[in-house]
Amino acid sequence: MAVETRGLTKRYPLTWKRKILVALDHLDLQVRSGEVFGLLGPNGSGKSTTLKMLLGLVIPNEGEARIFGQPPDSLEARRHVGFLPENPYFYSFLNGDETLRFYGKLCGVSGAALEKRIEELIDLVGLQNGRERPLRSYSKGMLQRIGLAQALIHNPDLLFLDEPTAGVDPLGSAQIRDLILRLKKMGKTVVFSSHLLEQVQEVADRVAIFSLGKKVLEGSLDSLLTESHETQVRIPGDLDSSRQEEVCRLLGQAGIDPAGIRFSRPRLSLEQLYLRTVQTQPESSARDSRPRL
Amino acid sequence: MIASLYRIIAIGRNTLTEAVRQKVLSVLLVFAVVLVGCSVLVSQIATPGLDAIGLFDAQIKFVKDFGCGAIGLFGFFIAVLSTAQLIPQELHNRTVYTILAKPVRRSEFLLGKFLGVVLLVALCTAIMSAAFGLSLYWQEMRGLAYADAIYGGMAHNFPELVDKVHQYEAEAAVIQAGGGDSAIQMRKIEALNDKYRAQETNWEGAKNLVEDYDHDVRLIQEQIRDPQLIEAILLLFAKLIMTTGIALFISTFATSSIFTIITTFLIYLIGHLENIAREVWLQRGAEISIWQSGLAGLLSLLIPDMNSFTIVDEILAGNHIPWSHTLDLLGYAGVYLIVLLALSIAVFDYREI
Repeated sequence: MAVETRGLTKRYPLTWKRKILVALDHLDLQVRSGEVFGLLGPNGSGKSTTLKMLLGLVIPNEGEARIFGQPPDSLEARRHVGFLPENPYFYSFLNGDETLRFYGKLCGVSGAALEKRIEELIDLVGLQNGRERPLRSYSKGMLQRIGLAQALIHNPDLLFLDEPTAGVDPLGSAQIRDLILRLKKMGKTVVFSSHLLEQVQEVADRVAIFSLGKKVLEGSLDSLLTESHETQVRIPGDLDSSRQEEVCRLLGQAGIDPAGIRFSRPRLSLEQLYLRTVQTQPESSARDSRPRL
Repeated sequence: MIASLYRIIAIGRNTLTEAVRQKVLSVLLVFAVVLVGCSVLVSQIATPGLDAIGLFDAQIKFVKDFGCGAIGLFGFFIAVLSTAQLIPQELHNRTVYTILAKPVRRSEFLLGKFLGVVLLVALCTAIMSAAFGLSLYWQEMRGLAYADAIYGGMAHNFPELVDKVHQYEAEAAVIQAGGGDSAIQMRKIEALNDKYRAQETNWEGAKNLVEDYDHDVRLIQEQIRDPQLIEAILLLFAKLIMTTGIALFISTFATSSIFTIITTFLIYLIGHLENIAREVWLQRGAEISIWQSGLAGLLSLLIPDMNSFTIVDEILAGNHIPWSHTLDLLGYAGVYLIVLLALSIAVFDYREI
């Protein structure tokens, strides 16, 4: 099991109001190795608190968590974990390569192995044009991608991504989604939180929905989203009313009540349309002003 | 252990790089260097009319006071300002999460940050000390040029006289080093005197003039090339690092940089005044209540005795301070720093971030 929590609880005392805020209430959660797991819920529902406790950054009041069987605040657990915080800024005075070099050294990677890893990650996240640029000049999407690269620098088995697409434009958001899918293919376990439900639907194997610090629903997307009392059939071409009637008649002969049959044309989502339009354009209009050698 | 050290060094280097690439600190440092470098000019404005060999040491004293004062003051600003924003900035930018999510202990993070500021303060102190050294060298050049001008006016062939007297002294030294019968040595010295009397009519007068000149030059050089200045700079550095330690400790539980800056300044101030307060109380003898003496004891335990470091003023005044005393003070600073770092780690370990 990659992640396991039992009765994980976090309470914050609100001294001035003489109240206690329950940020997370007895969370039981299990994430299997190689799974992409989505944490959903409105702001303040306990998603970020969960991630912080799984990283040992916040100490629980009750319950316990295990990362590959280890306590989250142990160095052994963190050797297997990569983390991308929500809206990260990183060190704006470093460039892309320097950032990855710094985080690599913290993980004990150095020398030729580190340089090779940096090359691989820059390729993976597609940041070739940001290697020598200071991070202060990065766009939001580029920051998220360098954030993903730093999270992966020590080749962890488990990734925690807190709102990885927050504030990123649809194209950047789609690139991050594709990255998560590539990581899944590489056998990584990914636990991420997001508000973009359509994206979660595209990448997650299982999800948990949080509300007011409690997990209110958990399961695989297939089991949660499939409407088992209906069947959808896709037919190529445009069916006019006479042919629709013919189809109804045939289905009626098969014992299906024609009154329950509906005809509609499939629609693209706005995101699909946007991506189809924008992905054909070059990524950046900026040109390198340095003289070519 | 080595892996831990490696991580601390990586965080320290990153902290130093960040500080060096910050424009505010660079401007502050450039300003300090220019100010220290210009202390020679300021000394002339501050001591008008003191442009005579006998009073030249007043200007030298001013340059030393001004230089060390500027190192202490700007060092204090650089140390406190850069330490106060270490942790709040990491929390605000959420970079602390990315570091502590890696296999890095909180103690390593804190020690790395501290190492970065120590390196920064050391770098700034070295640069300001170099500027201080240059200003002293400039002052020495001015002094020597002035001595040449004054004594040159007393004898038209003064440079030749200096060469001649120095040559005479070298030859006399060879005779004395040769050893043997003292009567023979006396005769040789007498012969040497006769040789030079033949070359220079007022040989005794010339010898006295050059000896006075040499004495003045030695006086200037002894004051400027005072090896005790190294002790003074080491003590200033130790005081700055203690201040950094205090600021780091406060920032582990403070919620804003302003709070850290103000509290550090107050502790720094109390650290200077507690000694004086204690002395005043002791002078009052029987009037001291048990509460007052308890409070004085608690203050002296909690707040470092910064006043001990005013020994630097004694060094600048030309008084001899033995190295053992300087080492005692450096040891005191070291022990205090270890306690501060241990407390900082203990507090930061339990801080919710």
